[in-house]
Amino acid sequence: MTNSQTFGSYKERSGECEYLTLAFSPTNAPLRTRWRNNGLSADFLGDYVTTFLPANGGQAAVGSRRNEIKYAVTFIANELLENAMKYHERNVDIPIGIHLELASNYVTVSVSNSVAAPQAQRYKEYVENILQGDAAEMLLKQQEESAAGSESAMSCVGLLTMISDYDARLGWRFDEHPAQSETLTVTTSAVLPINNAPGASA
Amino acid sequence: MKNIQGESYEIRLDNSTVFFKGSLRLSGSEDYAPILEMLKETLVHPGAPIVLDLRVLDFLNSSGITMFSRFVIEARDHAGIHLHIVASEMVPWHARSLKNLQRLMPALHIRLM
Repeated sequence: MTNSQTFGSYKERSGECEYLTLAFSPTNAPLRTRWRNNGLSADFLGDYVTTFLPANGGQAAVGSRRNEIKYAVTFIANELLENAMKYHERNVDIPIGIHLELASNYVTVSVSNSVAAPQAQRYKEYVENILQGDAAEMLLKQQEESAAGSESAMSCVGLLTMISDYDARLGWRFDEHPAQSETLTVTTSAVLPINNAPGASA
Repeated sequence: MKNIQGESYEIRLDNSTVFFKGSLRLSGSEDYAPILEMLKETLVHPGAPIVLDLRVLDFLNSSGITMFSRFVIEARDHAGIHLHIVASEMVPWHARSLKNLQRLMPALHIRLM
């Protein structure tokens, strides 16, 4: 039996609406090559989403809104993939997965990767911190600390930016592996509202 | 004039103006260090306004956001620095994230075109 723990507004993959899943085996390529792949995959997901956006409103508004949503999906996918590549436990044969789902009024991007148990514990503590605090304030504090040279090993500027600048609702799920107690799979989900997309009313 | 170029980006320092172009997704502070150093060169001659032209910087990852934050904090802590950012309404991250730099440095002047 798998032991799971969820934090925040974790969104399960439903598989009921339009969706797309990509998987990477990170042991097969050097980091630099994989890093390039983050950008290519994120750009692809951003482009993919625009194909399915409902065409409400005037033409100019639609164009601007699509551009906003496309950028937000690309940014979120890129950041989640970067985190997964950085923190992925390489000694296990579990791929990094990115999943995108389109519902009528929101988009979900979720990324899963495996992490060593101590790393997972630190991440849980950070996640609880994010959920209790004000993301915009935490972002500023983090940047001041980073400039002063006291940056923590896990900066999470990407996660805080998703919440603060893109109105994304984040959630996390940690799954223990039945056979490998030293390794967990962490899945981060980001839900982006489409109707209230960043800049939609601008 | 100085230039830093990568597969998806180009950065050019011309007097006290730094032009950014393309998509910046480098993997962390080490990879961003040469760009941050180029930005810091503009702080050597206080008095002349420093301009960061980001109008065609289409994408910036969180490590890039941190690099700009570090520069803005350093500029804020120097006396007599006038820092201007020129940005575009057509690039979604500009309106969304540049305001955070202004919170770090209230005297920062941002022009969205």
